[in-house]
Amino acid sequence: MQPIEALLLEPVGCLAEFPSAPFHEIAVRLFGRKRKTSSSASRTYWHLLNLIDDMDTPFDEEKKSIAEALEVEAVDAANIYEDVVPALAELKSMGTRLFVASSLSRRAVSRFVERNSLGDFLSGVCARDDAGGVKSAPLVNVLGGACLPREKTMFLTDTMEGIKIARSVGVHPILMMNDPDEAQRLAMHNPAGGIISLHEMPDFLRLIAAQNQRS
Amino acid sequence: MKKVSIYRPTTVDEAIQILSQHGASASVYAGGTDLLVRLKNRLEQAPSYLVDIKKIDHLRYIKEDAQGGVEIGAATKLAELADSRLLQEKYPMVVEAIGKISSPELRNASTLGGDLLQEVWCQYLRGGYSCWRNGGYLCYGAIGDNSYYHSAMGGRLCYAVYPGDAATALIPFDARAKLATPQGVKELSIEQMVPGDMLVDGKIQSHVVRYNEILTSVVIPPPKPGVRASFEKLRPRGVWDFAMASLGISLQLRDKTIEDSRVVFGGISGKPYRETTVEAFLKGKTLNTDLGEQAVSVALAGAAPLKYNATKIDMAKGLLASGLARLNT
Repeated sequence: MQPIEALLLEPVGCLAEFPSAPFHEIAVRLFGRKRKTSSSASRTYWHLLNLIDDMDTPFDEEKKSIAEALEVEAVDAANIYEDVVPALAELKSMGTRLFVASSLSRRAVSRFVERNSLGDFLSGVCARDDAGGVKSAPLVNVLGGACLPREKTMFLTDTMEGIKIARSVGVHPILMMNDPDEAQRLAMHNPAGGIISLHEMPDFLRLIAAQNQRS
Repeated sequence: MKKVSIYRPTTVDEAIQILSQHGASASVYAGGTDLLVRLKNRLEQAPSYLVDIKKIDHLRYIKEDAQGGVEIGAATKLAELADSRLLQEKYPMVVEAIGKISSPELRNASTLGGDLLQEVWCQYLRGGYSCWRNGGYLCYGAIGDNSYYHSAMGGRLCYAVYPGDAATALIPFDARAKLATPQGVKELSIEQMVPGDMLVDGKIQSHVVRYNEILTSVVIPPPKPGVRASFEKLRPRGVWDFAMASLGISLQLRDKTIEDSRVVFGGISGKPYRETTVEAFLKGKTLNTDLGEQAVSVALAGAAPLKYNATKIDMAKGLLASGLARLNT
C-alpha cells in the first residue's frame, strides 16, 4: 500500500454510534417498508441508501424535509466515539487530509460536524446534496474536488456495501471493526485493512509510511 | 519450508555486518524453535537469510559477575539455565520459571535470547493469515477466537499476547539486556527491551531490537537482601503450553514489611505487564494472609478484554493472590 494522504469518513458507524430507529423510520415513511432490517444502525442506514439509490426521481420537497428531519434526529441522538477527536487531531497533525464523505443530507452532516466540533480537523465535507447522490457519489465528489490520489486514499466503513463502493471508486476500504462477529463476517469481503478503533489509524499510517521507506 | 540462505559468522561483528547488509529480510538464528516453525509454515514475514550465531564464541555461558550478579549469554539453552546451580542458588524463581517453559525437548534447543525475542504465537499469524505481523493490515485475533493467545489489556494494531516467560521472571529482578549494535554495545532493561507492539524498521514486533542488532547477554543484578520471589503460571496443559496467565513477583522485605516490590503479569498483554498500581499499593504493607485479597482489588484496573478472554484477568488476579500467599509461607 502506498503512503496514505487522505481519509474519507462516513459518520454513521465510523465516527459515532447512531440509533437505527430514525433511518428505519425514513424507510417506513418514504418507501413503505414495514420490517426492520437490523438492529444495527449501519446496516439500516445502508439499506436506506440502497432504497434512495434505486429511486427514479429525487425526493420532492416534502419527502426531503421528512428525511432531513429524521436524519438530524439521528445525529442528535448519536454518541461520538470517545477516541475520535484525539485521533482526528493526531491524524491532522501528521498531515493527513480528512474528509467527511457521507450519504447523509447536508443538514444532518453539518449538524454532526458542528455538534461534535469536528470542523477544525476537516479539509472538506461532502453530503449527498453536494454529491448529487448516495453511496459512491460523495466519495467520487471528494476525490475529484480535492484532487486526491485514489491509491493514497482510504475510506473507513463498517459495512459490506461500504467495502464494495470503496473498491468501485478505487480507494482502500478499511474496516471499522466495531462488533467482532460482524467484523469477522466482513473480513471475508477482503477489505484492505481493519481497525478496532480510530485511535489505531495514526499507527496504521505510520506503519505504511515506514514500510514504503524500507522498500 | 520457505527457501533460505544461511550464514555462519564466527564473530558478533561479522554477524552484524551480514544483518546490516540484508536488512529486514535477514534474521538471527540460534535455537530455531520459533524461527524454523515460521519458515516451515511459509509465513510471509519469515526471513530469507538466516544468520546462524551458534558458532560465535562467548554467547553461551552462565557466570557470576564482579558485583555478585549473574550474566547469561543470549545463546545459552533454557535447559542449561534450568540446570544451573549458580542460578538456583541466587535466583531460584528464575529457574522455576524456565522449567515451566514449553517441554524438556524444546528447552534443550531454545535459547534465552530466543525466548525473550520470540514472535507471538497467535494462531492466525502462525496459520498464515495476512495480519499486521504478516504483510497485512488487520488483526484476526481481535475479531476471532481470542480466548488464549490474545491480549486482555488492549493492543496496538496487533492484539496477540507477548508469549515469553523468561521476561516475566527476569523483570522482577531488574535484569538488563546487552545488545551488540553497529554503533557499539547498547544496554537496556528487559522491560525496555520488550515494551509490546512496536513499529520497528517497518514491522510490528514485541521488542525494540533492530534488524542489525543482536542480543548478546542478560545481566541479573545481585539479589537484594530480604528479597522473596515467586513465579506462577496457568496453562491449559501441564507442559508445552504458553501461559494463559503468569506472574513474576518479587518482594523486598524488612521483617514482614514490604519495602519494595515488582509485580509482572505474563500471558495477558502484548508485553510483560508490570502492574505498578499493585506495586505502589504493596509498599509499606505488612505481608499477611489478607494482603492477597486487598492487592487483587486494585489489580489490573485497566483491563480491556476481548470477546472471549476476560477469564485471563480472573486468572491473573488469582495468581496474584496465590503468589502473595506463597511468599507469606
